[in-house]
Amino acid sequence: MKRIVILFTISFLFLAANGQKFMTKNGYIGFSSHTAIDDIKADNNQVAAVLDISTGDMVFQVLIKSFHFEKALMEEHFNENYMESDKFPKSTFRGKIINLSSVDFNKPGKYDVTVDGDLNMHDVTNKISVKGTIEVVQGGVNASSKFNIVPEDYKINIPGVVRDNIAKTLEVTVTIKYAPVESK
Amino acid sequence: MKTYLKILLGVVLFFALAGIGTALYLFNMQHKDIGKAKPDFVITAVDLQKAFEDNEVAATAKYVKKILEIEGEVESVKTGEANVLNVTIKSGSDLSSVICTFVSATDPAKFTAGSRVIVRGECSGFLMDVLMNNCILVK
Repeated sequence: MKRIVILFTISFLFLAANGQKFMTKNGYIGFSSHTAIDDIKADNNQVAAVLDISTGDMVFQVLIKSFHFEKALMEEHFNENYMESDKFPKSTFRGKIINLSSVDFNKPGKYDVTVDGDLNMHDVTNKISVKGTIEVVQGGVNASSKFNIVPEDYKINIPGVVRDNIAKTLEVTVTIKYAPVESK
Repeated sequence: MKTYLKILLGVVLFFALAGIGTALYLFNMQHKDIGKAKPDFVITAVDLQKAFEDNEVAATAKYVKKILEIEGEVESVKTGEANVLNVTIKSGSDLSSVICTFVSATDPAKFTAGSRVIVRGECSGFLMDVLMNNCILVK
């Protein structure tokens, strides 16, 4: 069953590509929280991401348990109390570059883009619009963005005892190096 | 009465200090030292990927957040953000493998595509591949 699902996903996402799709399974998404009391940072280097340069479609997917914190207890609280990662193991963003015409994928350089889409985590989906950069490089495409999210928007409840230790808005950093998907 | 108060104060103080001590200990607790930890399972990358592909729910219950020692052939080596090392280990499938993210300061030169390695790390679950974190190279 799993094999069928994977095959279907892959064929749906990539094989229809004709060299128009780029992907990675080693992308980076991190987030940080800054308050007077504490600075918290978490990193995830196992982001799966797909970009279709013909349509501007972007998909990002992560496992919540792949976020790594410096302190073990924070990682435990993040997984067990806030994100409930046993119940909701994945987070997905599906969106589209809305100003695709301003990016020339044949010409190396940096292009400012705006991406609109749906961010799902902790079983809540919200529409977000973020600004980012697409960099066309030799043999690939890089994408980066920094934007803010509010944990409460995703029904992530942070108890009063530690509420002052965690910022109301978290800064999310995305760094992706895509490689072309070889059409088969 | 005074002695009673002193004892009470002593007991309260003892619990307060013990509480603060425990809180500080927990707060600063480090991640498991994978190098010293005994693996919960020793398995090949091929069998591990197959277990998730056949039954993700059962494999998640069995392997996730456990320390695994996996053996397999290196497919590719990539350095990501802040020079974090990601090593992809081949499975029986063309589409899905085992991706191991290593603890900081692991030398990418220790890995070459095609060589066989033994890696110990914590299993985070299955996305499109089986994902392992906090990995160290055993052999």
